Amino acid sequence: MTEGTFLTEIFEHFFDPKKRVFFGYLLVSIFLALGWLVFFRNKSFKKAITKIFDIKILFSRSARADYKVFLINRVFMIFLSPYLLSQMVVATSIYYFLHSIPLFKTSHFPEIPANAVALLFTLSYFIFDDFTKYWVHRFMHKWPVLWALHKVHHSAETLNPITVYRTHPLEGVVFSIRGAFTQGIVISFFIYVFGNKVDLVTILGVNVFVFAFHIAGSNLRHSHIGIQYWSWLEKLIISPAQHQLHHSIDLRHYDKNFGATLALWDWIFGSLHHSEDVDSLVLGIEEDHIDHQSLRDLYIHPLKEILQISLSGFRGVKSIFTIFKT
Amino acid sequence: MKKLIILVSSLFFVTEAFAHHFYNKFPVTLKGYSGSKTNSVSYSGQIARHVLHDSLKKLAGKGDGGSNAASLEAQMMMYFKGSKEDLDIIAPKTKGDFKIKQTTLNQISKGKNLSGKTYKGIINGWPGQMTGPEVIEFMIKKAAKTKGGFDPSTGYNYPQLISKFAMGAVFYNQSVDNYLDEKMTADNKPNNKPYKDGAHYTGKEHSWDEAFGYWGAASHGLGLDAKQNYNVTKMKDMAAADQNKDGVVDLKHEMNFAHAYYAASYDKGGKTNYYNTVTQAFLDGRKIIAGAKGDALSAKERAALAGHIAIINENWEKVIAESVFKYAGSVYKDIVKLEEILASNGNTDKQFSKYGKHWGELKGFALALQTGKSNLGETAVKLNRLTGFGPVLMNASQVTGVDSQGNYLKEEAQSWGEFKLHMLKIQKLMVDKFGVKAKASDMLSDMADLASKMGNSDSAEND
Ligand SMILES: [Zn+2]
Ligand SMILES: [Zn+2]
Repeated sequence: MTEGTFLTEIFEHFFDPKKRVFFGYLLVSIFLALGWLVFFRNKSFKKAITKIFDIKILFSRSARADYKVFLINRVFMIFLSPYLLSQMVVATSIYYFLHSIPLFKTSHFPEIPANAVALLFTLSYFIFDDFTKYWVHRFMHKWPVLWALHKVHHSAETLNPITVYRTHPLEGVVFSIRGAFTQGIVISFFIYVFGNKVDLVTILGVNVFVFAFHIAGSNLRHSHIGIQYWSWLEKLIISPAQHQLHHSIDLRHYDKNFGATLALWDWIFGSLHHSEDVDSLVLGIEEDHIDHQSLRDLYIHPLKEILQISLSGFRGVKSIFTIFKT
Repeated sequence: MKKLIILVSSLFFVTEAFAHHFYNKFPVTLKGYSGSKTNSVSYSGQIARHVLHDSLKKLAGKGDGGSNAASLEAQMMMYFKGSKEDLDIIAPKTKGDFKIKQTTLNQISKGKNLSGKTYKGIINGWPGQMTGPEVIEFMIKKAAKTKGGFDPSTGYNYPQLISKFAMGAVFYNQSVDNYLDEKMTADNKPNNKPYKDGAHYTGKEHSWDEAFGYWGAASHGLGLDAKQNYNVTKMKDMAAADQNKDGVVDLKHEMNFAHAYYAASYDKGGKTNYYNTVTQAFLDGRKIIAGAKGDALSAKERAALAGHIAIINENWEKVIAESVFKYAGSVYKDIVKLEEILASNGNTDKQFSKYGKHWGELKGFALALQTGKSNLGETAVKLNRLTGFGPVLMNASQVTGVDSQGNYLKEEAQSWGEFKLHMLKIQKLMVDKFGVKAKASDMLSDMADLASKMGNSDSAEND
């Protein structure tokens, strides 16, 4: 790997429409923020601009930690990715397995047009992906071993679009396993039933629904711009302010709004909380004995904590059961 | 004028350059030879066998359902076991502009047969524990009784079964397990003696030529691209086939047969280069032998030859494995279509015969793969079990053996779903054990394409 390609690989997410921090989506988010502040919060254009590019937020100690974590994790992931479970391994095993179910016959449904199959596939994948994200996120909060990792994300005291990368690398591994299973299940099932008619409906090479989510300002979830939706819409789709509330330190906001795109799952499974004024929220986690913005504590402390949890085996076993109780 | 000279002279150089790629002319190096022959290349016996094979395949589809069974069987046996009289070439035959020079066997080579050169070991993948020649005779007898070569009661397509199995048991086996194996040892057919008394070529020269002849490539094939080579066999590209521009295709050196044709068919997909790799290795090996100038080969020369033999063995085996891979995929797709027709209560006859044809190709190539130099061991056992003795039939039965009278025995078979899974496992086996690359009809490619389109999920992104 040459130095040049290595650097491009580190920053390629900003040029990849599949990624949330694609510069196009960031630009759109700025306009959305501007519109929100000017039209819904009655701020002057100038004040809105100063608010959006608030130096105290964008270069806070927490934000600077985000940027460093982003760089370090990119390096981690570039070297780690060849060893991660691939969706093809999962898809192939499930595809094989489907053949051995006697009553489950392949019918490639010649009467259903290919674009209908493609749309169904794209929508199903989007919904299923969002559903598994909800549950993995929920487990991240409920199971102490996973919470030790997920705390890295929640230790952010200010939010900016790069906070999305404020993730412990081991949590990244968990996410990649989730992704492999989700894709593997949907791909194998659809190909088995519909054959080569299955396709992904895309814009700029991106799942059309994911594209819509990003164009609608997904980057503002991690920001200080608290866009709120109508109450009815916040039951279906998570507003930026709803996710900001997920980061709140307030006890009332604990274990609320796990959803990634859809609020539906929070609504169904009882973890929904409507948005509140973001400027009144204190973000982060309450734990005094460590420095949440030091890289050493961000990377090492979760490992220490996991070790402690596993050493006290009783607590570990018990903690598994607490998940099922909740 | 000057331009014309440049053009003509560059054309000359091009032809000259290509000439070195031709496997058609090597000097006579045999010491003490006083005859008039100047070219030591000779493999017309192998071409005669290719023609016997093509003709036999054609005949296997000529049954009318019983009334011509006896005469057809007798005729097929002549093409399998040879005949004292000259035999008409039944295939390949002139088709439109594509004119074939020879019309009878003796115009190529006299007194040749397939039976004497068929692998003599037991064929485990076919019911009845028969030897190679016994399997072909058995199939010939069955084929003669069918209508058009297909037996709906078993799903067997005999032209495909006979042809693909013979390609392995005769051509592949003779080449890699005999001429490139025993006959390349120091003491067997030495280079300082004629191949046989009175011959104008040496032992090693002719052994090597015979191995090349079985491979089936046209002597000028290296100068053509994969698509041209493919179309030569398909009799669609006269310009490419007629190398010496005499208006006819000389089967002795202008045609691509059998394995060489299949190699070209995969290479035209652009992912592999089997045809050129194997043909070039044959050509390079022949140059080493010619370079010995009639002396016995030195240890160094034999070592160099062994390197080329290894390339030939490996790539030839892959060509057969590619076919197994491809037809396993075809069988899978055929079953899906059959299921669709069944679901809509349609008539499955036509699709069933297509399925039988593809299964026959799969089976034939699977058997052929097992006739090489090395024992495939566990891989062969797996391949035979996955393929089955016969295709799963519409009434969910399958041939599982033959009785002492040679009648097929049938038993309840696995489900369609399981049989499809077997096809997927055959494809995986070909990838894992032989490293096939062309992968025609890859049943997992749709999934792989979709997966790559979706990309890795955003593993480091958090909410
Ligand atoms: Zn977050
Ligand atoms: Zn969280």
